[in-house]
Amino acid sequence: MTGTRLAGEIRVALAQIATCPGQLASNLSRHLEMAQRAREAGAQLVVFPELSLTGYLLAHGVHELAFELGDARLAPLLEASRDLALLVGVPLRRQGGGIVNAALLLEDGAVRAVHEKLYLPTYGMFDEGRYFVPGRSLAPLRSALGTFGVLLCEDAWHLSSAVLLARQQVDAFLLVAGGPTELDAGDQPAGLRRWHAIVTAIAATTVTPVLFANRCGWEEGVLFAGGSWAVDARGARLVDPAPALEESLLLVDLSLPAVRYTRSLHPIPQSERLELWRAALEGEHG
Amino acid sequence: MGELPAVHIPLLATSLQAFLAEELRASGLSGYVVGLSGGVDSAVAAALAARAVGAHRVTSLALPAPSSSAESLEHARLVAETFALPLEVVDLSEPVRALTATLDIGQDRVRLGNLAARLRMVALFDRARRSGALVLGTSNKSEILLGYSTLFGDSAASVNPLGDVWKTHIFPLARHLGVPEVVVEKPPTADLWPGQTDAGELGFEYRDADPILYRHHELGMGRHQLVAAGFPQQLVDAVLRAYRHSRFKWRPTVVARVSASCVNVDRILPRNPEA
Repeated sequence: MTGTRLAGEIRVALAQIATCPGQLASNLSRHLEMAQRAREAGAQLVVFPELSLTGYLLAHGVHELAFELGDARLAPLLEASRDLALLVGVPLRRQGGGIVNAALLLEDGAVRAVHEKLYLPTYGMFDEGRYFVPGRSLAPLRSALGTFGVLLCEDAWHLSSAVLLARQQVDAFLLVAGGPTELDAGDQPAGLRRWHAIVTAIAATTVTPVLFANRCGWEEGVLFAGGSWAVDARGARLVDPAPALEESLLLVDLSLPAVRYTRSLHPIPQSERLELWRAALEGEHG
Repeated sequence: MGELPAVHIPLLATSLQAFLAEELRASGLSGYVVGLSGGVDSAVAAALAARAVGAHRVTSLALPAPSSSAESLEHARLVAETFALPLEVVDLSEPVRALTATLDIGQDRVRLGNLAARLRMVALFDRARRSGALVLGTSNKSEILLGYSTLFGDSAASVNPLGDVWKTHIFPLARHLGVPEVVVEKPPTADLWPGQTDAGELGFEYRDADPILYRHHELGMGRHQLVAAGFPQQLVDAVLRAYRHSRFKWRPTVVARVSASCVNVDRILPRNPEA
């Protein structure tokens, strides 16, 4: 830890890495290297992208590679988590069958919490519904550092996910993504620009900081957009975005008391008219 | 009438370099082997590979056949020199002549052209095997969509950085990478017989076909919409005919699925797993 930190002041590292599908040892070394850099920089939490340990485009490879909670392959990361919390992505075998696309919070040498991806994109180039089962519930992840809302890639494209988590007073969103991209006339990948619009919109409308860790690089001929970033509870940048194509580690300092104060000034999520949701649901199903 | 939407050429180049660097890393092999035809596509692919992994890891081959123009070899040398690539000239004239006789091909230009294209594939994959390298593909998106290639010939490769890049964008990409202007400017040709050009065979220029292909393939516009948008009907019909008739080349071999574990159907798996 560098210097003295006030209660509720945390430093989070966003680890933008390029992973390779099926090359676990190589991917694990990227994690350990980034964790060490984050540790040296005084971070208390490192956020890795979606399916960071296995790679994203696994297809039926999820059956070869899926983890279990007591998996021995997690040991090096659990060890690393003794002084530094880690949010890592794996395909996770669920008791009773099925594999979920999961983000595991590793803290104090143990798996402290799990977020299961709720929305599995199955259109265009995406085929997640073929290989994964959807997560069952939406709940904040409680860490010793604070309460976080994990949005796992497509989860963030359904704005209701963020609204529902914000109403549970999460201190920040950890948006972990494996966002593919195409290139157009812009000097940044088109996917990166869309993600930044979403990051800003979620932060501004839920009055909650968004910490966005995206992967970069290529898998099986598919380019991922990088551009990891963080904005505060009003959507203002906390740090310059990471480049699109290169691995990088972003450090974000966050004051949770300041977040809570901002939200008391702008209680937008608390004003959500849930009776309108109810009426819409009853209209659809009634 | 619409143009093809622009693409940011420096970002495209940097991204494709990263692709080639990652494919080589993930494969664990030593480098790339590329056939230099003297044309712009192979020059661009070679330049990207040289930037991605270093020119010393990119072996270029010039593969003249009896029908090849002298200019093609000259331009292949110029490209290799420009990007400091080791160049090996493998004259395929004798094997082409021998197989032409053995297979009784006679004067059939298409069969002769296919033979030369497939013998180049043989030479490239053999060279790649010798040094533990990957064969670099050079087919662009326009060629692929129109089927303007020899199946298991010039379309065969280990990895292809250009297969999703329109021919229209290959030219500015080539200039960005420093491909010699004489190579960028000459009319595209497969060089399978004297005087052959892509436009002569296809019946249209890529610059005219690409905006139609883009609107049909990517935006879902049908024939009537394309004509209503101002594209000449004859051109639209010719482009869409090629697009429909060549689709079998997009996935060269269809495997008959008779189990619940058919490769690439029931089992789609990462190509480069750990040992």
